[in-house]
Amino acid sequence: MTMTEFLIVWLTCLATMLICRCVPIFILKGRDLPETLRNALNLIPPAAFAALVANDLFSPQMFASGIWPGIIPIIAALIVVVVAKTTKSLIWCAITGVVAYALLSLI
Amino acid sequence: MQKKDAVIQALKAALPVMVGYVGIGIPCGIVEHQIGMNAFMAFVMSMTFYSGAGQFMIPNMWLASTPLASIIASVSFVNTRQLLYSAAFSPYFEKVAKRLTFLFSATVTDESFGVNMAKYQEGNWSAGRATLVNLFSMTSWGVSNALGVLVGSALSIPTAIAAFAMTSIFICLLMGQNASIENIFVAAVAFIAVCVFKVIGLTGPAILLGALCGVGAGLVLMAVKKQ
Repeated sequence: MTMTEFLIVWLTCLATMLICRCVPIFILKGRDLPETLRNALNLIPPAAFAALVANDLFSPQMFASGIWPGIIPIIAALIVVVVAKTTKSLIWCAITGVVAYALLSLI
Repeated sequence: MQKKDAVIQALKAALPVMVGYVGIGIPCGIVEHQIGMNAFMAFVMSMTFYSGAGQFMIPNMWLASTPLASIIASVSFVNTRQLLYSAAFSPYFEKVAKRLTFLFSATVTDESFGVNMAKYQEGNWSAGRATLVNLFSMTSWGVSNALGVLVGSALSIPTAIAAFAMTSIFICLLMGQNASIENIFVAAVAFIAVCVFKVIGLTGPAILLGALCGVGAGLVLMAVKKQ
């Protein structure tokens, strides 16, 4: 990748990223929003977290190299669910998740 | 003293994300090195564009000889989910100055959105602390990317395993949500919708579209319950 190509990719991606990151908050902040929109904003966190988890765990090719490699992340995820319920700690969830995933990959 | 407390609180909140970013930032730097980016370029990109998914996509697509315009379009498409995060934070920034709002919103990622949103929902969180969480996380990401470029392929980190730290963080944040009927329904619909969008080939915007389906379904449920 040449310097010019790098600059093109960097600056255009940065521009679209800044639009997505900054425009909605400036449009919505400080406004008296209708109730439905306020409800919608409150529903974003559970929707986004579930979407992020689904995106990480699921892909159409997940069983391409056998059932087991596709199931490993799901088992590790279930272990993390238990840890999340009991500890409510991000760092413990991250540690358990990575260790569980690594150990299951060894089997 | 209060300022110092705020910094410590923000650092504590950001720590899981910062550690996770070392795990995926170094492998990201390694692929950036493969397409000829130097440590400075990787650092600058990480401290401005600041996107894990995006910064993995750019080298991978470049190595697959994808045209520049397609790379830019695909990366931008994937990052449209940021629109939702930005909107979700707006009620908490009603009285926050424009400059701080800009600095905060320009540095939100999936992970820092999650951590800050959970803190705001608990109460007792401020725009200053939230922005510090973003900046701490971003610095960890930037340094790790530069480090990845410098070590090149001398170090091998299994990316799939390291990336599972992030998945685990999202699972913890999801479990931390209030277990109301609406939230459970919203999460279930969003989860299934993401899977469906990926199966039909809409992988890029799957997170945004799936989350929107979840929010839409939740609004419908609320309307039905009202009647």
